[in-house]
Amino acid sequence: MTIPIQGLPPQPDATFTSSSAKQQPENGGFLDTLRTAVDQVGQIQSEADAQVASMLNGNGQDVHSAMIAVEKANLTFELMVQVRNKIISAYQEVSKIPF
Amino acid sequence: MNLFRVLEISGSALMAERERAEVVTSNLANAETTHTANGGPYQRMHVVFGSQPMTQGAFPATLASFTDMHAEGVRVQGVVADGAPAVRKFEPGHPDADDQGYVSYPAINPVEEMVNLMGAARAYQLNAAAVQSTKNMIQSSIDIIKS
Repeated sequence: MTIPIQGLPPQPDATFTSSSAKQQPENGGFLDTLRTAVDQVGQIQSEADAQVASMLNGNGQDVHSAMIAVEKANLTFELMVQVRNKIISAYQEVSKIPF
Repeated sequence: MNLFRVLEISGSALMAERERAEVVTSNLANAETTHTANGGPYQRMHVVFGSQPMTQGAFPATLASFTDMHAEGVRVQGVVADGAPAVRKFEPGHPDADDQGYVSYPAINPVEEMVNLMGAARAYQLNAAAVQSTKNMIQSSIDIIKS
């Protein structure tokens, strides 16, 4: 006894019909926020850099203010790295969802 | 970025203590100075500390009075000369001796200045420790996000 193989019945049109192919938020959204954060960290780092350079050049820069600036740069950078780690782990979690 | 203001307050205290140490060291160095640019013996100096709001300008200060920004830093408000009379010693051969053979020496007790210097050094350490613990506070708030 053989079962004849038949084609699938016609399906409704399954192509996605989203109104806009690329949904970009109006004001850049998350990417913009991240970029601003990275820029701010860079700014604080260059400020610390300038203070350390000024101290080493003997311009009468206080040691403690240079050290505090370096520490600020260190902490802001670490905060940025941790936020980035969190975002990446959230992304990986989402990418593991089977579909 | 509010915790950074704590760092700035500690920074202002470090700066003030450094200036105090400078003045005390100047007193120590000039304990025997009988000749200065404006004549007479060296005058012992004191630093006067004053509190300093951490916000500059009239508008930020007014804004700060409405919010919780009450913390104030410190600054050296001025360096004043001690009015103590000079110590007169009989040294007729000294170039700064007056017509009776007396030389005016500054009224500085090196032991007292040394104790003041120790005080400034300890206060500096104290504020450096405050910076350290503020750093730890910020660090532990960053650690919250760590998995």
